[in-house]
Amino acid sequence: MQSNLSVLLRNPLAGVFVVLVVIFVLSSLISPYFLTSYNMTVLARGLAFVGLVTIGQSMLMVLGELDLSLGVNGGLCGVMAGVFMVQLGFNPALALGLAIAFGAFLGLINGLLVTMLRLHSLVLTIGTAGIFGGANLVLTRGVAITGIPTSVQFLGRGDVLGIPVPFVIMLAALFIAGFVMLKTPFGRYMYAIGNNPQAARMLGIKVDRVRLILFVVAGALAGLAGVLMVARLGTAQPSIGDTWVLAPIAASVIGGVATTGGVGSPIGAIFGAGIIAMIENIIVLFGVSPYWQGIVSGAIVVLAISFDAISRRYLRRDLA
Amino acid sequence: MAYLEIRGLGRDFPGVVALNDVDLKIELGRTHILAGENGAGKSTLVKILTGADRPTRGEVRIDGRDPLVDPSAYRSVAYVPQELTLFAQMTVAENLFMPFDRSGHGGRLFNRRALMREAQTYLERFGIEARPSDLVAHISVSDQQLLQIARASTNNEMKVLILDEPTSALTRIEVDRVFRVIRDFLDRDHAVVFISHKMEEVFEIGDDYTVLRNGEKVESGRVADITEADLIRAMSGRHLAIDDHFRPGVPVGDAIMEVRGLSGARFQDVSFDLRRGEILGFAGLVGAGRSEVMQSIFGYLKASAGRVTVDGKDWPLNDPSRSVANGMLYLSEERKHHGIFPMLSLRENIGISIFELTQGPLGISQRREREAVTKIIEDYGIKTAGMGKRISNLSGGNQQKAIIGRAMATRPRILIFDEPTKGIDIRTKTEIYRIMKELAEDGVGVILVSSEITELRRCASRIITMHTGHITGEFDTATTETETLVGAIFGTEARADAI
Repeated sequence: MQSNLSVLLRNPLAGVFVVLVVIFVLSSLISPYFLTSYNMTVLARGLAFVGLVTIGQSMLMVLGELDLSLGVNGGLCGVMAGVFMVQLGFNPALALGLAIAFGAFLGLINGLLVTMLRLHSLVLTIGTAGIFGGANLVLTRGVAITGIPTSVQFLGRGDVLGIPVPFVIMLAALFIAGFVMLKTPFGRYMYAIGNNPQAARMLGIKVDRVRLILFVVAGALAGLAGVLMVARLGTAQPSIGDTWVLAPIAASVIGGVATTGGVGSPIGAIFGAGIIAMIENIIVLFGVSPYWQGIVSGAIVVLAISFDAISRRYLRRDLA
Repeated sequence: MAYLEIRGLGRDFPGVVALNDVDLKIELGRTHILAGENGAGKSTLVKILTGADRPTRGEVRIDGRDPLVDPSAYRSVAYVPQELTLFAQMTVAENLFMPFDRSGHGGRLFNRRALMREAQTYLERFGIEARPSDLVAHISVSDQQLLQIARASTNNEMKVLILDEPTSALTRIEVDRVFRVIRDFLDRDHAVVFISHKMEEVFEIGDDYTVLRNGEKVESGRVADITEADLIRAMSGRHLAIDDHFRPGVPVGDAIMEVRGLSGARFQDVSFDLRRGEILGFAGLVGAGRSEVMQSIFGYLKASAGRVTVDGKDWPLNDPSRSVANGMLYLSEERKHHGIFPMLSLRENIGISIFELTQGPLGISQRREREAVTKIIEDYGIKTAGMGKRISNLSGGNQQKAIIGRAMATRPRILIFDEPTKGIDIRTKTEIYRIMKELAEDGVGVILVSSEITELRRCASRIITMHTGHITGEFDTATTETETLVGAIFGTEARADAI
């Protein structure tokens, strides 16, 4: 056997997966509260929302793009869901569908500006993030919309076989994204574009169309995350999505997505998101002073990516 | 005692012996030709000479010192890579002295005026036609090439200068500028190691030579004592007739493609026919507009006027994806920018074009893709340690073969080769010529854009010459003198009547 282990280690996900397992095992040993079904449910539910945004962001990053408006997009979609259901009295299913479609529409705006005017997505989305976030405040004046129908709350609070519903939805989205990226021509086109957009165009790949579709998909996933968060909270909070900007980018990088594009996958990015979620979780369980939490979680993220970089360098030398 | 001497040198990588038992003697005041096919071990040897890699066995002596013991010995060896590695958005002077540790502008603070003054003396010595304050992005390619060489020589301790294909992007006149610089180095009692696949240049500038093949030294001696055929035989290990021609041997048929009055950003009013059974050559200087014409037909660049018909039907312009879908492929001169996906594996790089073969009911089938790619690797003789290796780890020739194999797998109707043999060794060149010939004989429309007249003469049935965006002539290769072609390329006396 030119051993299964070396094949496994050669997989680019190996480094981040090892880190994930190590942190999981350490956390279980350190805190008796970590590996309880209650805490696991909390962890999974928390991971679900930021995970959906991470899937979209990591796919854009593989293309070499970045959307900094995904967080406020999610927040605005949550608010829109509230407006549709409470203020306009729409049927909940219709309202949620419209809110997610609205997220896709916001993504479409970003995508059209990037592809038609050749704008730099990072800078553009700083601008559109300001607009979307501002629209949120104009609509809500900073006040949450209450009175969300209890019928939709199952989507945020319910379980399927003991697994939180949002987590199941996130896994389904991850499965679809992983399948598309690894098993379909469209996915291969994404990697090709992220590696070398000129060469992709020379091969007849419709580069702009792929980019546009991905902005729309990422927007819809952010909208979905926002809507599920409303179902979870039972109110449409204007602050939804505030923490969905940098964490998905950090998670993607930890999970092996290159900031320059062309490498990585949403699966690795979700592993990265899992690492960040566990770190934040254990800090709380450990009773670290809130003033210190930023320093501790930041330091662990730095350690995690350093470990990954070192292990990768070691492996590459081995296989050169 | 030679200034730089290597004995019994070997370098092993896991599973591969990259170099074995190599001897090399570099003497001051002489140009040493380092010859070998792509993948013969030249790059590994250069890395060891410059200290970027360490040998597994053997001895290196630079001026009698062992650089493995005393790394300061490496300082007398400078290397200029084939690719331009300049900072495009910085000035000529800044590029010259980066990282500012050896220029004499003095002090710890950046003294712009002293830097510019000092740069001026280098620019004059190397005949660089640019001002020290110009941005590198704005100076010509040949000036950039010379600037790279000048940068290496700002090192006062330098005695040996290694030039890796310094002329591959240059025209003949520009090559002479590089040669002047090389002769100046020799006069200053430096040694130059010259790596090139262009035989003409090797015999013009070379004093001594060493040939590597499959990681071993096969021959060395004085260039004056050998012929071009000897050198090629030493590199390839077999006899390759250099004057074989590869012009298709079938009767020329009707037109596959007709181009009428095509204009674009850097060319005007281009009209020609591509006929079945021929290879149509395009000759011209760098910047004559040949690539732009081809890229506009392909749809990558915008055409502002004119029309193209293929098999009598209107051909859609400005949309490369429709061109590909309709069976036209353009293989760019710029492999790095337009050809490969550097961070993806060889398998993924080839797989991107053959989804019809690899798609199963559950998406792309790994097994089918492996089989299809294995076949292409075998058919085109691509040398690789495995299809999972990143394509950027392959040699240039093997990357080019992968790109051609990928293109052929789509069974194109029209194939445009733009400088397909740039930086590629002679054996691979002949393989590419053979592929083009077979394609043309099978009825595929083949266009060859090349700056090498010998290459065009060997392959093309007909040659169209371009000068500053215009067609200046059309010639039947078999009945035209090289001088006539050169005249048309330089825009003097376009003799269309010579057909």
